[in-house]
Amino acid sequence: MTRTQAAPLRPDSSVEVAPVGDRGRRSRRALGYGFLTAYALLMFVPFAWTVITSFKTQPDSVRMTFIPDPITVEGWQRAFNELNPPVMQLFLNSAIIAGTVTITNVVLGSMAGYAFARLRFPGREFLFLLVLGTLMIPDQLRMVPVYQIMQTLGLSRGDLQYGGVILILAISATSVFLLRQYFLTIPRDLEEAAKIDGAGFFTTFWRVMLPLASPALAAVAILSFQGAWNGFFWPLIIMSERDNWTLPLGLTQFRFEFFTQWPPLMAVVALATLPILVLYLFFQRYFVEGIAASGVKG
Amino acid sequence: MAAAATRRRRFVIRYGSGREIFAGYALIAIPLILFLVLNIGSILFALVISVFEWQFRGGAGEFVGPGNYERLLADRTFHKAIYNVVTYALWVVPLQMALGLLLAVIVNAKIRGQTFFRAAFYFPAIASSAAITVLFIFIMQPEGLFNGLRAALGLNPIFEALGFGPRHNWLGSASTALGSIMALNIWTTSGTMMLFYLASLQSISREVYEAARIDGANAWHTFWRITFPLLKPAHFFVATVSVIGALQLFDQAYIGGGSNGDPNFSLMSIVLYLYNAAFRQVNLDYAAAVGIVLFVIIFGATLVQRQLFGRTPAWQ
Repeated sequence: MTRTQAAPLRPDSSVEVAPVGDRGRRSRRALGYGFLTAYALLMFVPFAWTVITSFKTQPDSVRMTFIPDPITVEGWQRAFNELNPPVMQLFLNSAIIAGTVTITNVVLGSMAGYAFARLRFPGREFLFLLVLGTLMIPDQLRMVPVYQIMQTLGLSRGDLQYGGVILILAISATSVFLLRQYFLTIPRDLEEAAKIDGAGFFTTFWRVMLPLASPALAAVAILSFQGAWNGFFWPLIIMSERDNWTLPLGLTQFRFEFFTQWPPLMAVVALATLPILVLYLFFQRYFVEGIAASGVKG
Repeated sequence: MAAAATRRRRFVIRYGSGREIFAGYALIAIPLILFLVLNIGSILFALVISVFEWQFRGGAGEFVGPGNYERLLADRTFHKAIYNVVTYALWVVPLQMALGLLLAVIVNAKIRGQTFFRAAFYFPAIASSAAITVLFIFIMQPEGLFNGLRAALGLNPIFEALGFGPRHNWLGSASTALGSIMALNIWTTSGTMMLFYLASLQSISREVYEAARIDGANAWHTFWRITFPLLKPAHFFVATVSVIGALQLFDQAYIGGGSNGDPNFSLMSIVLYLYNAAFRQVNLDYAAAVGIVLFVIIFGATLVQRQLFGRTPAWQ
């Protein structure tokens, strides 16, 4: 997304004339690769260690061996059978919340993003600034008042707690901002054509603009899903019912229940990370570009 | 009559037809209501709550004015929380920025496997704070991977000299718990900082570098004299994000040290203090006051950084 916003590049045939035989440069390069590889390992090893440990036996789990001896699924069985609420329940709860929040962010974010980018109405700039301004407000400041609001709405009890968390996470200023920026880069010609064909604003939005914005929609979907799936703070505040817990909440509790029984604990850690890992493997580009674009100021 | 018609025409040119205005408001209505109630409104609500004796279910009781703020500013645990969080920020922010910048510069150079390295460095940031903290607790426990690796690499004499035994309990000792959490967060977030820097690095025009090369500047000079100053807006942004993140330290402290920030309050943070006030002591008005003070601290820190890094230059 950032790339499309960048100034038009000139053909750069003249650059990259590295002096031949520059030894300083070559050794710097080797040093660089050494550092990069070591650092990349540092990023992966702890996760690999988690997975390895989840297949170990308890006494084996504190040994510094890379191959479990013997390989056992006991840790996974315990993770699935011994927890209350069951780990699959937590998984489902996380999926419900993350799935819904992803949809609301994409839908509401694209609607508001389109309006702020293209439609003319009084107070537009001011309202957009107001939306961006909410990024300055720390969640913790909102904790007590938002909790009180949810209580008043009855969304802090029973199954309605799902509704409470979803409402709080339903739309983020980042989603609106990212989509607005993307809509701004789409040429106006297509909308003009739609207008001449007699399409109204909603039709134009739905039929013309949304399909064109699919890369930005994907980035917003990924960022929202990741944020909601990993989210700790709001579920902790709202989800007082054990059965409604999400994976991060359960994980925190299991840390005290399993204490030093590492194999089942690491199985839950691996399970909690797995969906995001799969998303990351397939949609790495959207993660990276979404983060980068949210950092570029508009 | 004519004047009114002109005014109306001007209005339509500026804002579009009535249908366009209606469509605009209709499309932003739901998000805007949510933002107004749950964000903007909640600041005002927090202010109100903080000056009353606020009942958990009953709402406003007696007016107490600045009482909560006075009590808060005199509380020793709160002082400890501020001390911890400031110490944390003073270490984590510079290290995170330096590491993020270093990684961005390397990944931005023409290297093999650029995409792979970029993806690898961001990798720890995709996991949830809960998962990563539990994983970290496992690695840093006395029989964990960290102690095992330093023994295997023969680094123990160095650690011994620093006063750490071969089975040091990193998160269980008051002297090293906060440092461990710092390491955890530098590890997980430097990739995010790298992405922010990378976006800015890629927007620097090539011509600047060509001019420097023609003038015979070497890589070291080019970096410090050209790249670094041109990244000023990125420095500001990254520093702000990093400071705000540090001041909001919560998940890792709570999962690592429980609600008291054990051992011995070494992991007590401002937000942990706030959480305890609201949900352990069920003192909502006091907790709201903590929230307001935190907001003031964050806002103040952002203003200071703005002064430090200057205003965003016009070309950005």
